Amino acid sequence: MKYTGLVLKNLVRSRRRTILTVLSIAVSLFIFSALVSIPTVANQILSDTASSTRIATHNKAGLAYAIPMAYKQRIETVPHVELVVAESWFGGVYHEVSDQFPNLAVDSERVDLMWPDWGISKEQFDQFKKIRTACLVGVETMKRFHLHVGQQIQLRGTIYPFNVTLNIVGTTGGKAPPNFLLFRRDYLEEAAGRPGFVDLMWVKADKPENVPQVMAAIDEGFANSSAETASESEAAFIGSFMDQYRTFFRMAELLGFIVVLMIGLVAANTAAMSIRERRGEIAVMRSIGFPARTILSMLLAESVLIGLAGGIIGCGSAYIVLKVFSVGSGAGPLSTIRMQPLIVAETLVVAVLIGLFSAMAPAGAAARRNIVDALRTVA
Amino acid sequence: MEEKYAIDLEHVTRIYKRDEFEVRALDDVTVQIPAGRFVAIMGPSGSGKTTMLNLIAGIDHATSGRVAVGGDEITGMKERELAGWRARHIGLVFQFYNLIPVLTAFENVELPLLLTHLNKAERREHVETALKVVGLSDRMDHYPRQLSGGQEQRVAIARAIVADPTIIVADEPTGDLDAKSAEEILGLLVDMNRQFQKTIVMVTHDPRAERYVDTVYRLDKGVLAGVEPGKRGAPAEAAARG
Repeated sequence: MKYTGLVLKNLVRSRRRTILTVLSIAVSLFIFSALVSIPTVANQILSDTASSTRIATHNKAGLAYAIPMAYKQRIETVPHVELVVAESWFGGVYHEVSDQFPNLAVDSERVDLMWPDWGISKEQFDQFKKIRTACLVGVETMKRFHLHVGQQIQLRGTIYPFNVTLNIVGTTGGKAPPNFLLFRRDYLEEAAGRPGFVDLMWVKADKPENVPQVMAAIDEGFANSSAETASESEAAFIGSFMDQYRTFFRMAELLGFIVVLMIGLVAANTAAMSIRERRGEIAVMRSIGFPARTILSMLLAESVLIGLAGGIIGCGSAYIVLKVFSVGSGAGPLSTIRMQPLIVAETLVVAVLIGLFSAMAPAGAAARRNIVDALRTVA
Repeated sequence: MEEKYAIDLEHVTRIYKRDEFEVRALDDVTVQIPAGRFVAIMGPSGSGKTTMLNLIAGIDHATSGRVAVGGDEITGMKERELAGWRARHIGLVFQFYNLIPVLTAFENVELPLLLTHLNKAERREHVETALKVVGLSDRMDHYPRQLSGGQEQRVAIARAIVADPTIIVADEPTGDLDAKSAEEILGLLVDMNRQFQKTIVMVTHDPRAERYVDTVYRLDKGVLAGVEPGKRGAPAEAAARG
């Protein structure tokens, strides 16, 4: 503590340089923490939406291929299966082609049991079950198109050669995907002429530990059939949609580290310059009796404080910007973007390391330098 | 009875290596300086004055020979040990004052005390006393850039004496000062020597310095060329005539 004043005095020795160094570190750590936060969106979506007992069963050849509706009864007989809900992708657009959002047809009877975590009220479910043209709309889509409960809307078919006219009976909430629209599959089946195929079966197992066993049983049951199935946990299923973004996420992380490395080198140059200017003073302090280790500690403390100040400003700014961004995104997927405490901690550790490593070499050299040689440079 | 020496250099040689060349800065020098004396080391440039001073201050190591200061044999001390020893026994005054520009006069003088166990109040008391002794009580909060050369050197002297060292070592303390300030600084060093019985070793080119010291050690080409009594108390003209 005796040396704190000395460290702080040296920090403000060249205010402009200190401020510029802090700001350059702040900008780099702003970029770093923001970029590293992006991949957490995927993890957040998974943890927000995925259930440990839900299984997605689809055609082994891919999601573009359907599976027979008749599979539903067979899957329901698999041990540890509680219920099955079939789902078909309608893929309609609202007004313009750009007005797209996920719209799906599902079995209306047991939706509340399959997705109890979606927070849909009993009244709204009752309406959904009662009205054949009923639909439930995610809050984000409601906001985006200024929709309201009771409104009738028409979705133009892009996959199916017809339109569907739907009545909004409620909104999905809780952990439901905020931009989805769900309507009744029996309505779609009827409009499509009862083709007897669906895109996906949602299966609910009784316990999380039985999920692997159920998945295996389903897929074995349809092995060597004309439509073999592939079952996966809900987390893996949603995760597979995220896979296309994995490279982008990795790139973002890599870019973050490159920015940090670059600014680390700039900070090292600044630290070297600052310490070089003070070689004489350092020699005087050593001649007075300051041990080399104490001087090294003080120089490193200065640099760490600069790094930490940059880290707090950069990380704090990124936190605020992401917060504003997520609020501005309404209930869309980006609304989940946020800076995790781990990333805050990680950024501050990086800030400390930038400070430490940038000054390590010049400070070490200055603290160990021969006093007589260093004093000669002052004279 | 054997006299106790504050500084005892026995057959000290210091050789510097400059690329492929060897420079013999001090060559088999033996000097004994009794405690409580104010001595000057004089000689032409490159005679080894500063090297000798650096060895006495413990900021350089002899290539061979023995260096004992304040009764401590410092020849074999490691750097960390030497740093602690310097903090306790040596007060250094430099030609260019070498004050830390971002610290006030008070904070500059306080520096050596940071290495002691004194608390803040005790440190303040010591610093105020040291600055009073050098006549700068009213300049405590001034930064070096706000002081004249003579005042900066006074602050440097206050910094050298504040921790009550055994020996004050001054390297050309008047070298960067005008005549009036130089006389003041030499007078101040005499006061330190008389009032506080400090042993003072001063390297100087300044012929006026002879009037203030007890003994003059003359070096030439790294060899002790002579030891003469100083002309302490002699009038300036008489000292100038020799």
